[in-house]
Amino acid sequence: MNAVALAALGLVKSYGTGALAEPVLRGVSLTLRAGETAVLLGPSGSGKTTLLSILGCLLTPNSGELHVGGARVALGDATARTELRRTRLGFVFQQAQLLPFLSIRENLTLVAENAGLTHTDAGDRASASLARLGLDAHREKLPGQLSGGQRQRVAIARALLHRPPVILADEPTAALDWEHGRAVADLLVAQSRDAHAALLVVTHDTRLVSRFDRVFVMNAGRLDETSKEAFTHHAA
Amino acid sequence: MLLHNRPRLAFTIAGIAVAFFLAAAQFGLLVGWINTLTALIRHARADLWVMAEQTPAFDYGTAIPRQRVNQARSVPGVAWAEGLFMGWNIWQRPDGRRINVELVGLDVSHRGGPWEMHAGELTSVRRSGVVIVDELFTAALGVRGIGDTVELIGQRAEIGGISRGVRTFTASPFVFTSIEQAIRYDRRYRDNEVTYVLAQCAPGADLPTVQAEMRRRLPHTEVLTTREFAVRSARYWMLETGVGITVVLTAALGLGVGAVIMSQTLFAITNDYLAHYAALRALGFHAPSLVACVLTQALLLGTAGIAGGTALFFLAARVSVRTSIPLETTPPVFAALVVASLATCLLASWLAMRTVLRLDPVSVFAR
Repeated sequence: MNAVALAALGLVKSYGTGALAEPVLRGVSLTLRAGETAVLLGPSGSGKTTLLSILGCLLTPNSGELHVGGARVALGDATARTELRRTRLGFVFQQAQLLPFLSIRENLTLVAENAGLTHTDAGDRASASLARLGLDAHREKLPGQLSGGQRQRVAIARALLHRPPVILADEPTAALDWEHGRAVADLLVAQSRDAHAALLVVTHDTRLVSRFDRVFVMNAGRLDETSKEAFTHHAA
Repeated sequence: MLLHNRPRLAFTIAGIAVAFFLAAAQFGLLVGWINTLTALIRHARADLWVMAEQTPAFDYGTAIPRQRVNQARSVPGVAWAEGLFMGWNIWQRPDGRRINVELVGLDVSHRGGPWEMHAGELTSVRRSGVVIVDELFTAALGVRGIGDTVELIGQRAEIGGISRGVRTFTASPFVFTSIEQAIRYDRRYRDNEVTYVLAQCAPGADLPTVQAEMRRRLPHTEVLTTREFAVRSARYWMLETGVGITVVLTAALGLGVGAVIMSQTLFAITNDYLAHYAALRALGFHAPSLVACVLTQALLLGTAGIAGGTALFFLAARVSVRTSIPLETTPPVFAALVVASLATCLLASWLAMRTVLRLDPVSVFAR
């Protein structure tokens, strides 16, 4: 059995204080192993983004534990959390958020170098990654010259370039049509498995569920795991 | 980020360049004025100046006995000493209009007079009724050249030479003649009076020692080195009349305008890329590296603007050489201005830096 890549234990998060405190996460626990892929569903306001933010070391919970890549996260230490994001986490956002004034290759190498790779290593990995994703011909183009689907593929390459044990994706297909969204989701799942990284994708699109190993549903701050079969009628 | 919006980049650099030029021009005026108002002192090739007590500036000297010249000559270590007359007078142009002038009377070796002649000879002032004026003020004085005649308080004077580069800070042109004729033109002076005694030390003589001895031997006078007298004159005009403060304030205003332009641009650029900054924070970029990005942009904008402003300044300075209002500078003054401008640029990036520092990386996630 693969090692645990991401583990959250009893995460509690409220916004506001005292009588005005609004609980968003009510003791959420979650474990993902290396190479495992999971999807997180739930209605708006159910706490998906808050959970993703905490798992991504962007937000601190009121209580609970978080382990990334086998190490416990010092949640109160902002610098340590930034270090974890830099080296052990990969992100894919709803919009690719590529720097519009840098070429595709430069966008990748910038992040890879920030993750600690040498300039040469970052360049080599960026080239290999772009070739693998069929974007080699676009390496010197600016993001504005690419389609939305191509930009998300670059964002996937960026998330995986420094080989983090955990990839977190927030609505990565929301800005794309179904065909391109499906292709991006397939690519994300395949690349994460190849890289032996745990993948958690937040989405509203239940048609994508069949592509993932596990399915979580968030409802009113509580997380439940469910079977894929409940969503099979949507699968394409 | 800067290059991504080239029109805005060009406008920003142009704005900073103009602001820097404004500040540099103000300081250029200041340096030019200080050089102008101390020019006769500095070009006199004297080590020591003897004057009436509490003389505030070169232009406001009062009479001292001419015997102070001989007394100065007798001080051990003095190579030579001679008198200099300086008094305000009224010049009547050939067309009848009258203007104030500063009449300078020169002694036998013409120390304290023009240091460059455009036409004629400096020695012409030894001739009776002859004066020298500067080429910058011939039009103001209503003369065309050598041989023209005018009046100084009702007494005839003939142009015997035209000097070059003798500007005035007071708006009253300098007119040169001999001490004897100057006293004749200025009835407030007696024949045995001068305004200043100029002295030069003999080779090897110790200037402070000579100065101290001269102070001891010449009663009711002040004995200043050339530098001390130049500083006193500059301080009087720049500080006591408020001119210098005004110029410095205007220069600061110029820098302030540049800072506002820069601040607006950096803030706008930062806001344009806020989502990208948030993404970079989420991807593990530390806040200091993003602040460094903002500061680098500020320095790049500042450097480009300063380079443009510098080119404008030296162009204007070159044009101003032959005018009565020269723009001049010195390496320390210009270096200080560049450093102050770059510091202002960094200060102007504070708003943008604050935005980046306060950025919540969670905002990168869709809610």
